[in-house]
Amino acid sequence: MSEKPSSILFAPGKRRGALRRVLLGGALMLGICQADAAPDNFTSIERGRVLTTAGDCTGCHTTVNGQSMAGGLALETPFGRIVTPNITPDDETGIGRWSEAEFTRAMQFGIRRDGAHLYPAFPYPNYTRVTRQDISDIYAYLRTVPPATNVVDRDTLPFPFNIRAAMAGWNLLFFTPGEFRPEAGRSEVYNRGAYLVEGLGHCGTCHTPRNLLGADSTRQTFEGGNLLSWFAPNITGDTRRGIGGWSVQEIVEYLKTGRNARSAASGPMAEVVMDSTSRMNEADLTAIATYLKERGAPNGTAAPAPAPAPLAASDASMRAGMAIYTDTCMACHTGGGGGIDLIFPRLAGSALVQQDDPTTLLRIVISGAQSAATDLAPTGPAMPALGWRLSDRQVADVLTFIRNSWGNAAPAVTEDQSRRMRATVAPQ
Amino acid sequence: MPFFTRRHLLAATALVTLTPHVPTAQAALGMPWSPNEAYPPTGARPGPWLYFTADEAATVEAIVDRLIPADELSPGGRDAGCAVFIDRQLTGPFGSHEWLYMQGPFSANPLPSQGIQSPYTPRQQYRLGLAALAEYCRGQFGGKTFPQLAPADQDRVLTGLEKGDIHLSGYNGVELFSAILANTMEGFFADPIYGGNKDMCGWKLVGFPGTRYDYRDVIANPNRPYTLPPISIQGRPDWNRNAG
Repeated sequence: MSEKPSSILFAPGKRRGALRRVLLGGALMLGICQADAAPDNFTSIERGRVLTTAGDCTGCHTTVNGQSMAGGLALETPFGRIVTPNITPDDETGIGRWSEAEFTRAMQFGIRRDGAHLYPAFPYPNYTRVTRQDISDIYAYLRTVPPATNVVDRDTLPFPFNIRAAMAGWNLLFFTPGEFRPEAGRSEVYNRGAYLVEGLGHCGTCHTPRNLLGADSTRQTFEGGNLLSWFAPNITGDTRRGIGGWSVQEIVEYLKTGRNARSAASGPMAEVVMDSTSRMNEADLTAIATYLKERGAPNGTAAPAPAPAPLAASDASMRAGMAIYTDTCMACHTGGGGGIDLIFPRLAGSALVQQDDPTTLLRIVISGAQSAATDLAPTGPAMPALGWRLSDRQVADVLTFIRNSWGNAAPAVTEDQSRRMRATVAPQ
Repeated sequence: MPFFTRRHLLAATALVTLTPHVPTAQAALGMPWSPNEAYPPTGARPGPWLYFTADEAATVEAIVDRLIPADELSPGGRDAGCAVFIDRQLTGPFGSHEWLYMQGPFSANPLPSQGIQSPYTPRQQYRLGLAALAEYCRGQFGGKTFPQLAPADQDRVLTGLEKGDIHLSGYNGVELFSAILANTMEGFFADPIYGGNKDMCGWKLVGFPGTRYDYRDVIANPNRPYTLPPISIQGRPDWNRNAG
């Protein structure tokens, strides 16, 4: 939110340094300070700031109340907890002593300054696609972030994952280094989008399912992935479960404001929108949307999987679900599941509602959720938690109902799935 | 040297004024919200009487069943759970008048605007009032208790209490009657989670929709019957697969 440099004096990262000197040296020094704060590589820093936003570096490298880029955020992975490093230019605890070449090697090959392997929780398999120039600009920008002293325990994974050298083997199997190459015959906008999505944007980190070793399951690119008890939905051209039915403009609106007439970003995507995409420029967002729309049918399959037949309305769970929906959900999401534009998400025809994996739905019904709040859509409407009022079976039944009504079709949700989600997100 | 110099003051002021304010997105935007946030009401505990003695409970059950007798429209006050509702209320903050100023003086002849003038909490009112009523019934009906009386005699006693024709020893009969009548109606129409209004029978009787709060579809269809069943805080039986 904060760092929009309007002048050289207020270039991010220089504010505090400049301020300290003003206070120490008195007003007379102000002019000198201004000169001191003005970098000779302003363009590079400014480009780097934009790229850092596009990469959402802050999403992992800044904690809720922590200093920008000072690390310390614990990422829960299937292999254990990884705590993100401090990437401020602090000499002792950050990357202050890293040369640009060392930084570039980390981005391109996942190798730390001391030669140790980084884990691919740091998405170097994506960042390797970033151009040399862009990496250089990101480095220039990160040099301007206020240095923060923050010691982070970088070795939290249990055996055998604590052996960083093992990542060399992982890299052999799953890692293809190399800069992005534009696809011939595609538009410039498409290739810009591909560059952002496959590179800095690292969308697949969440939206592509992972294999057993934590690598992108490349045959299922963008078909949706489970993380942190959320399900990052399918963003392929699948018309039922993906964004095949969304226009480029609708995708741009979603990324820019956090919602559109179809859906609203919540959970980790709300953070992505607030920290990253809402601050990106329209041209880049259009490029991303264009790439996602034009990259074609879901990978490896000629046609999207046929929609399953919806459950019959006479099914016992559907009938219970309808009663619960009528009494609990209808007031906002309306009787026909149409929702209210831009406030209450539409359930009829919703891709999120029809994901094969109901994780996000379970979580939202049990714990509630808040949509992204952005400059252009500052309300951030929230759905209240209903876990206190609905039993596990009732949660499952109401979800089964919304997944199989108004033209929707998706597998029924089970009481067991509901119980496990409650134990995770709302332990008693 | 002064402890706090002009220089300190200026520096401190400058610091406060110039310290960059870096609001987080969460603080600056969006409504306050946190996961799993809910303030569910405390429901009535099932099980035996919590405040009433067995004799008191039998008397109250007999009274509520005369105030709301069972008929073709609804169950009676007893089956609707009104006595249970009153028992559970008496154990809580209502029973101790936790919300009321309880120091004297108490006016014997108060203005209507002066509100409740009893020195007794509802718990004490029921205990003293029911004891006085039991004594009255023993004396007037040959040792019988109120529940043992024929319905017509019960009605005569209740009418006498209501009109002030019956004088109990040691307690104001009008006050006893009005307290039980008010609490019985509350039990019949309060949400079922508080022990009364069993199966939303009171709401079904008067056509109250319960905890619904959106009537756009209804308002859009004037002069059509409202068909949705009432709904309590706990839901309704149709929420469960095996209902009906």
